[in-house]
Amino acid sequence: MKKLIKKYLKNPMLLIFIIILIFFTPMAIYSPGENKIKGVVTAIGIDKIDEEYEVSLLTFIPTANQTYKQQNAVVSGKGKSVTEAIYNAQLSMGRSVGLAHAKTTVVNEQLLNEDVAQIVDHISRISSLPENTVFICTNATAKELLESTTGLETELGLKLEQLIGFNSTNLYAIDTSLESFYKGYFGQTHSSIIGHLSLEEESKEDSKQNEGEDNSENNGESQATQNQKKLTNKGDAVILKRGELVAKLSSEQLNALNLLNSKSIKQIVNIEDVKLDSGIHDLSYRIRNKRVLKSTKFENGYPVFQAQVILGMELTEVKGMNENFKENTEISEMNKEIKEKLNLKLKKQFTDALKILIENKTDIINITEEFFKNDRKAFNKYIKNLNSIDEFISHVNFKVSIIINTD
Amino acid sequence: MKQTINIRQCGIILIMCIFANKLLLMPSLLYTNVKADGIFVTAILFLIELAIIPLIFLLKKHFPKQSLYEILKSRTGVIFTKLIYMLLLIFFLFKIILVFSITYVYFKQQIYKDEIIWIALISILPVINHSVANGIRPLARTMEIFFALVLIGFLACLGFSLFTNIELPHMFLSDIQSFFGAMYKHLFSFGDMIFLFLILDKIEIKEGEEKKVYHYAILGFILIIMLYFLYYGKYQVTSFMHNNALADILVFSVQFNAIGRLDIIAMITILFITIFQLEIFSYGFSDCFLHIFPKLNNIYSIIVFDITFLILYYFFLGKYEIMINLTSTWLTVLAVIINVIFPLILFVIYLVKRSKNEETD
Amino acid sequence: MSDFNIRKEIEKVKEELNSCIDFAYRYYKKNGQEVGLIFLKSIIDQTLLSSAIYYPLQTFQNEFTIDNLKTSIIKCADVKDIEKKDIIKEILDGKVIILTNFSLQILSVDLYKFPTRTPSEPPTSPVIQGPREGFVEDLQTNITLLRRRLKSPNMILEVVRVGSQTQTKICISYIKGIANDKVIKEIKNKLKNIKTDGIVDSYMILSFLEDKPNSLFKQIGNQEKPDVVVAKMLEGRVALIVDNSPIVLTIPFVFIEDLQNSNDYYTNHHYSSLVRVIRLLGLLIAIIAPGFYLSMQIYHYNILPLNFLVTIANTTQGLPFTPFLEILFIFLLFQILYEVSLRLPSYLGLATSIVGALILGDTGVKAGLISPPGVIIVALSKIALYTIPEEASQITVLQLVFLFLGGSLGIIGITCGAIYIINYLNSIDSFGTPYLAPYGPKISSDLKDGLFTEPIQKMKNRPKSFSPKNKERV
Repeated sequence: MKKLIKKYLKNPMLLIFIIILIFFTPMAIYSPGENKIKGVVTAIGIDKIDEEYEVSLLTFIPTANQTYKQQNAVVSGKGKSVTEAIYNAQLSMGRSVGLAHAKTTVVNEQLLNEDVAQIVDHISRISSLPENTVFICTNATAKELLESTTGLETELGLKLEQLIGFNSTNLYAIDTSLESFYKGYFGQTHSSIIGHLSLEEESKEDSKQNEGEDNSENNGESQATQNQKKLTNKGDAVILKRGELVAKLSSEQLNALNLLNSKSIKQIVNIEDVKLDSGIHDLSYRIRNKRVLKSTKFENGYPVFQAQVILGMELTEVKGMNENFKENTEISEMNKEIKEKLNLKLKKQFTDALKILIENKTDIINITEEFFKNDRKAFNKYIKNLNSIDEFISHVNFKVSIIINTD
Repeated sequence: MKQTINIRQCGIILIMCIFANKLLLMPSLLYTNVKADGIFVTAILFLIELAIIPLIFLLKKHFPKQSLYEILKSRTGVIFTKLIYMLLLIFFLFKIILVFSITYVYFKQQIYKDEIIWIALISILPVINHSVANGIRPLARTMEIFFALVLIGFLACLGFSLFTNIELPHMFLSDIQSFFGAMYKHLFSFGDMIFLFLILDKIEIKEGEEKKVYHYAILGFILIIMLYFLYYGKYQVTSFMHNNALADILVFSVQFNAIGRLDIIAMITILFITIFQLEIFSYGFSDCFLHIFPKLNNIYSIIVFDITFLILYYFFLGKYEIMINLTSTWLTVLAVIINVIFPLILFVIYLVKRSKNEETD
Repeated sequence: MSDFNIRKEIEKVKEELNSCIDFAYRYYKKNGQEVGLIFLKSIIDQTLLSSAIYYPLQTFQNEFTIDNLKTSIIKCADVKDIEKKDIIKEILDGKVIILTNFSLQILSVDLYKFPTRTPSEPPTSPVIQGPREGFVEDLQTNITLLRRRLKSPNMILEVVRVGSQTQTKICISYIKGIANDKVIKEIKNKLKNIKTDGIVDSYMILSFLEDKPNSLFKQIGNQEKPDVVVAKMLEGRVALIVDNSPIVLTIPFVFIEDLQNSNDYYTNHHYSSLVRVIRLLGLLIAIIAPGFYLSMQIYHYNILPLNFLVTIANTTQGLPFTPFLEILFIFLLFQILYEVSLRLPSYLGLATSIVGALILGDTGVKAGLISPPGVIIVALSKIALYTIPEEASQITVLQLVFLFLGGSLGIIGITCGAIYIINYLNSIDSFGTPYLAPYGPKISSDLKDGLFTEPIQKMKNRPKSFSPKNKERV
């Protein structure tokens, strides 16, 4: 024994190494996989019901099968704070909550009547939750929304965050994540924008049909149809000021604001009653490419925002087709009228949407930031005369010119 | 085995020293103090720190083959030298605790269950003890081998961060008082290059190789500044919320997230860098210990280190707020002594030696 | 006439050799002149004995003198005078001892013949292109194989005998003027100090030569192909050819040698660079994959992408084992199958693979005892092991170590293990050469034959790592 001790003492590091293995290997042997002790949460929903918070967790349920399909269920818990509600949800789930794979956070519109940053504080403090978690709100309860998504993957092979992700380029903030919400929240004008998903009542026939299919599939899907509400993505968004909801933007209004966002090129513009050789038509155009040249300056001490938007547009639909039109199916060159109409339409849409921002003193298109960045001295001087920095956007003189090309 | 290192290994040790404490929490802490001007705070403190390198070369030239201890002893006497070594010992010990606690928080948040993390981190201890026992040469060679991996990991983190929207961070938002205040407050997180003084006699420099060290220093500096720039550019106003800079800049936008999580790159890079820093500081501790107690051998220094570490670990770990508080209060005083006064003393010693040399000439 | 009593002498030798059954002797008596032959019939060429010694002795007409014997009677090239004390040693070496009653001189005639193989392609180092010859168990043949490739007067061959019983011949071979003298001196010193009764294979002297004999890692190279050994000698290494062993040892050894293969030099250098990188990857996968998979499953499930996690969670759901036990079980299963397949005759090997792969693997998965990802990971690491077959035994141990580290400490354990091992390897000096050269420390000029290779004409200098005396290859 003495010899053995001496032998190992010659190499004390090896001894420590062996001790570590001896001590910790039994622990390793008895540890079950982490996925067995932690529930893999893929989405979180927060609602407020009678002064209590309800947290719903869309959780992945491992099932011993060879199909590798993801099966989800919604588990919820109530509490006076979000932390307590999550704790209670854990109790009913029988596992601790693993938020590392949570890619979506949904809040109910009602919650947006108070500062939502206070509510999602718990979530933002959990650093295992990725900051790029999608952050959206819904008109129904978050629980209902999550329940309606349980069948999303089996029906459409789609995940909730993918559904939003498709829409994300329509938002001025590029994506609707917790991070971008906080960026706006802590920004100069404390305004942020988040996506909105609606749950709408389905017609009875549709729901019956769905129900029949769902029952044969799995429980998650049948839950979705019991509520008879259907998830619809209209591409809407809501504007938050200091974490509170101040306005809703429709998909069209968002598109209009996106005029100044060179990264967003998915918009469609419809113009009516265009006089062509073949008669009067309604035309649809798609923006194929976009170049935005922006500049800010203080003219006579007043802020002026100039933007030149160069759009490459493509004709996608002509209504009122007739024989005469067929001869020249391609309108290779836009006539002056089309250009004017498109120009007018785009400008009108933009002005309308801008009005909403000005009314609510919410600068989600970062105009204040642009002025601050480009001429900090003049900007600081100017805002001294204002009651608050939030008013700045209403003082800006917008000069937007639009050039439309067909290529 | 001869315990000398070549100039390339010295450069790599230097880079690890430059990285120390600056990759995770530091940018976020600086943001709360001086906003994005943290980049300038880092740059200025780095440039001050950089003055150590020419001083090392000058000392090496005028005191060839003499160790720092011998230089100090011959000029300032044993007691003063031991006092300096004692301060260095404390400096390195707290550096280790600081690096450890920041890493602890990072790994606790990112991947480990609460109950396992301390065990896992404690397992680093035998590794750093082993490398201290083996000496500076294997330590430097190990860093040399993993350096490419660390560099690739670091660059990958910076490169992947470019996939998201990055804007120019707003600079010059802080006033002069808070700027210099931040410089003073975070002084303890700098000055790791002091380590090179301890291995003064172990660095083999051939003629004309000095500039290589500067190349490595500049590389380290560029990487750090790029990290800070991309971090502030990416997170802007929310920078204070993100405590793990190198890992956090890897987080993608919604669409990109479909690929999965790439933080593993940052995690492994950080882990390697952390262990190397701990090894460097631990070697520094051991070197100081052996000079203070010349009759004891390496094993004693390791045992003392482990015991002291475990005690401090118990008090500070997981309570990194305490540690952060300490670093900006009385540890800053220590940092001023070690990072400013100590090099100045060495500079004076050099000047005296030079004037004596000139006289004899 | 001398007073030398041949019969008495022969009896003495016989006694010393314990009258072993292959001991043989013969007398010739002519005109009072006696000639006695002593030999071990098992290790000499008896045909040659008859034609080169018996027959000339019988037919020689004149008086025998010792000079006659040496110059005209014995028809063998290797005839030498020996001391009386060396008789036994010479006999055991396959020599025929000639004693006469007319001279005190004792002659030794080399007529040794062992049953040996002809040089063939070694099974462990097959090549697609390039020479296929491999070393055999016979020292002389092995030296011949080297000589054929190295027609230089500077090639030095020095023989040392090791082992009190076996008296194994170890030939130290190097090129004078290239190999480092310090290394040669150290090797000779270490060989001289070997105290053992027997060496039956070259592997047995490894631990006597290595700096850290307890180490898991080999510190001395081993080769089966003469072309490779010659190439290594040209780089400044020393080769040790041990009698009765087809494995030639080369000193000093650096780790990267195991990533190199003789094929690399006989194909396009771009391709060989790619292959070396793949070998390194294979090595890393082999060592780390099972431990890493385990750490992901036990501690870091959150790093796994969701889709991957779903697959793992679904397939491991309902398994009776914990992840660690599952991987350990599969690991042991593979190792047992490997050991069995090594030792079974080839006709049974097929049966084992059917039982192993199909019945145990497939049925194990279907029965819900093991999970498909677990099988894939362990199989992958076991296959990757053989990208460097020379290191297979070490890697198997490391696999297990990293399996324990990953399972008990997660990714920190794996990283710590990696740093610990590399630090340890860096502390090894193989006869003055850093073990991980040319990467730790980086030796730029040696990188030409590192992980990425360059064309041979660009390798104008010998590797600095081995500190050769003559640095240029011209």
